[in-house]
Amino acid sequence: MSAIETLAFGQPVEVGQIGRALKKIWETDAGATTRASLVNFAIVCRGIEAMKKNTVVISEFTSQHACRALLAGIAPNGAGEPKVSAWINAHCHLSRAGAKQICCEQISFLFEGHAESRMANTLFANLDSDLPLYLWWQGEFPDPIDETLWAWVDRLIYDSFEWKDARAQFSTLRESIERAQAHLILCDLNWARSLHLRQALSQMFDHPDNMALLDDLTMIRIAHAPENRSTALLLVSWFAAQLKYSNATADGSGFVFQRDGKLPVKFELSAEAGRSLSLCELMSASGGLQVRRDQQGDFFRVEVRLSGGRVYHHLLPAGSNETTSLLLWEIGGGSRHQVYRKALEVLETLL
Amino acid sequence: MPQPCTVVIFGASGDLTYRKLIPAIYNIAADGDLPAALSVVGFARREKTDAQFRTELEEAARKYSRQGVNDELWRSFADRVFYHRSEFGDLEGYKSLAAQLEKLDAERNTRGNRLFYLSVAPSEFPGILEMLAAVGLNKTTEGSWARVIVEKPFGKDLKSAQALNQVVNDVFPEKDTFRIDHYLGKETAQNLMVLRFANGIFEPLWNSRYIDHVQITGAEPLGVEGRGPYYDSAGALRDMVQNHLLQLLSLVAMEPPVALSADAIRDEKVKVIRSLRVMSGADVAANVVRGQYAAGAINGKDVPGYRQEDRVNPQSMTETYVALKAHVDNWRWADVPFYVRFGKRLAKGGTEIAVQFKHVPGVLFSRDSDIGPNVLVIRIQPDEGISLRIQAKRPGASVNIEPVKMDFHYGTSFGKASPEAYERLLLDAMSGDATLFARRDEVEHAWEFVDRIEHAWHESPTPPVLCEYPSGSWGPGEADELLARDGRAWRRM
Repeated sequence: MSAIETLAFGQPVEVGQIGRALKKIWETDAGATTRASLVNFAIVCRGIEAMKKNTVVISEFTSQHACRALLAGIAPNGAGEPKVSAWINAHCHLSRAGAKQICCEQISFLFEGHAESRMANTLFANLDSDLPLYLWWQGEFPDPIDETLWAWVDRLIYDSFEWKDARAQFSTLRESIERAQAHLILCDLNWARSLHLRQALSQMFDHPDNMALLDDLTMIRIAHAPENRSTALLLVSWFAAQLKYSNATADGSGFVFQRDGKLPVKFELSAEAGRSLSLCELMSASGGLQVRRDQQGDFFRVEVRLSGGRVYHHLLPAGSNETTSLLLWEIGGGSRHQVYRKALEVLETLL
Repeated sequence: MPQPCTVVIFGASGDLTYRKLIPAIYNIAADGDLPAALSVVGFARREKTDAQFRTELEEAARKYSRQGVNDELWRSFADRVFYHRSEFGDLEGYKSLAAQLEKLDAERNTRGNRLFYLSVAPSEFPGILEMLAAVGLNKTTEGSWARVIVEKPFGKDLKSAQALNQVVNDVFPEKDTFRIDHYLGKETAQNLMVLRFANGIFEPLWNSRYIDHVQITGAEPLGVEGRGPYYDSAGALRDMVQNHLLQLLSLVAMEPPVALSADAIRDEKVKVIRSLRVMSGADVAANVVRGQYAAGAINGKDVPGYRQEDRVNPQSMTETYVALKAHVDNWRWADVPFYVRFGKRLAKGGTEIAVQFKHVPGVLFSRDSDIGPNVLVIRIQPDEGISLRIQAKRPGASVNIEPVKMDFHYGTSFGKASPEAYERLLLDAMSGDATLFARRDEVEHAWEFVDRIEHAWHESPTPPVLCEYPSGSWGPGEADELLARDGRAWRRM
């Protein structure tokens, strides 16, 4: 990597001198800045280009979440002598209160050759003590995973949308976490993609009049972008886990679930160009509920049809599907994702 | 400011003199705290002139002095530094030393005050002390003083420590004996008493009612660094726990002293060491984990295992890691475990004390989810400071609780850099203040505690296993289990 390329990551430092170099930065500061950190936010990615993109993400992230950012890049060609290089820099933002700049540290590592196995130790050695560790693993998990990583991770972030073989990935991840007896929170950005849609759907059932729709539900129709079938499957799993549907069987492009003492419910999935999830329609004998997102719109248009010809319309925020927005929402929410865990149990039967 | 004196360093050509002692004395001078008449005499075997010695020291000071070197000040300081070549066992060398000291007294009006610093292996102590006594350098006249500073290790077990202490005290009385433990010279170690006894909020909580447990950690990414033969005969328990970590434990656990005098404070520290629960062989097996580092990676670089280190026995059973659960059997600390660990070749370096408070009751916010406990961390090194972890609500409509840290760093909070531990300790020794030095009974009681563990390891027919851990990790899994059995975990450093 050329010197110019590495400038994106800040000042190069010896791996063993990172703590000292960071201390120096703050000691020489004239007092106009405040170092802040509430979490350790680590990103694992592949390649220099991904590291550069993530440095931009970190800059944006630190404007909302004070953290120590650790960026671990794995060089794509795993051959050659193992080598670990490091850089430090700081992201500063003017505080809302006024004159002081709030600064967060970024430590970047590039693991070349067979140095990937040194990643856990290197990250652990550079954490801001006592603060939670959020680890964002980009791309697919290797098999086997270095399970020592799980020992200190509080929140594991990943995006199952990126996985080619989601079934194998979920299985590898689950087994490795069970073996390590880790108690980490799983944050799937693909799950976050459906957050606003799930919120819109849930809100509709806060009204007791609408609950009757769920009892005689016969079909749920979901339209998703062709590449977002995995996002739609997570939504199906959410419905099934929350409404206690069971015994899924494949049915064309969808599934049929059984319900205790009631008619089965069919899920119909269709791929349509547009938003990741553009439509979710619940159909029952007594009425229906449709949540639709326009191609360009920032809102969900909700229509509720109840017995007696009553029709209600609502406009609800649909949020952004940009990865950085999903991440910010995910971290800002601080959810423990118990509902996701339940949905995962269903999802593994659908894959 | 201390009285004028002459500091005589035995072992003056050693590493400690160049890296620590001379930079420390120079920095005291730079801060304006050194008596103008102070002289330094380096005593060693190697042939060297005063000029050579001064040049070498200047190079070292430029490298190791925390505030650099001012040319003018260094010239003035170096004029007061002398070199005295002699074998440690040569009486003539001591006679000429006595003559040189008398001459310096006369020239610089140092009034016969002498501070002898034994920066040599303990095996050299008897010879040097015998010679000092033979030429009367341990004797003082009315109004003057002669003191001795001894470096660790203070013995290798209780028996040898007692013998060594006897040798020293046969020549210098206990009040003039200063056993240096540089951890006690660290700003934060000194601040421990201030934190506890100058703040109203901590002391009422400082007991078994509110504190769940205490963790004291010493971690080094370094290996034995050329000290293989010494380390292989000592091990982590003797090298670090017996002195540094038990000293920190006694500062955390002691009762408020009746005064801030050296003996009042040390009286309370000794009581803590004496209250450490005696361990039987079975207790050692259950409560102490020993480990040795295997090959691994530190700071991204491959490092060898302990047994592959230079001049280390390839079948060595010496521990480079030790973790233990101790109890201070007194009213204040009943049922509060003190977990102490030290390891070499760990992922990160640092020494700290973490006081973990009890969990909040399982009602309200902690009814449905675990809320972490409050932790007060006193960082001894590096980045000396104190932090307190508390729980806070995340901004937003729902109640999500996250830990946040209130942090105080010495390095950035005060404009002035903290003095090096040796600066404070040398200045105290010159002033005759032994508060930050280990007293004979402290050392011997600490050995008594450690000896029981060593005996269980080395004399039991079924000694506990020596666990292996990869370099760059946080020690053996058995150490994690030691805490996991009690439903606890080591702190994340």
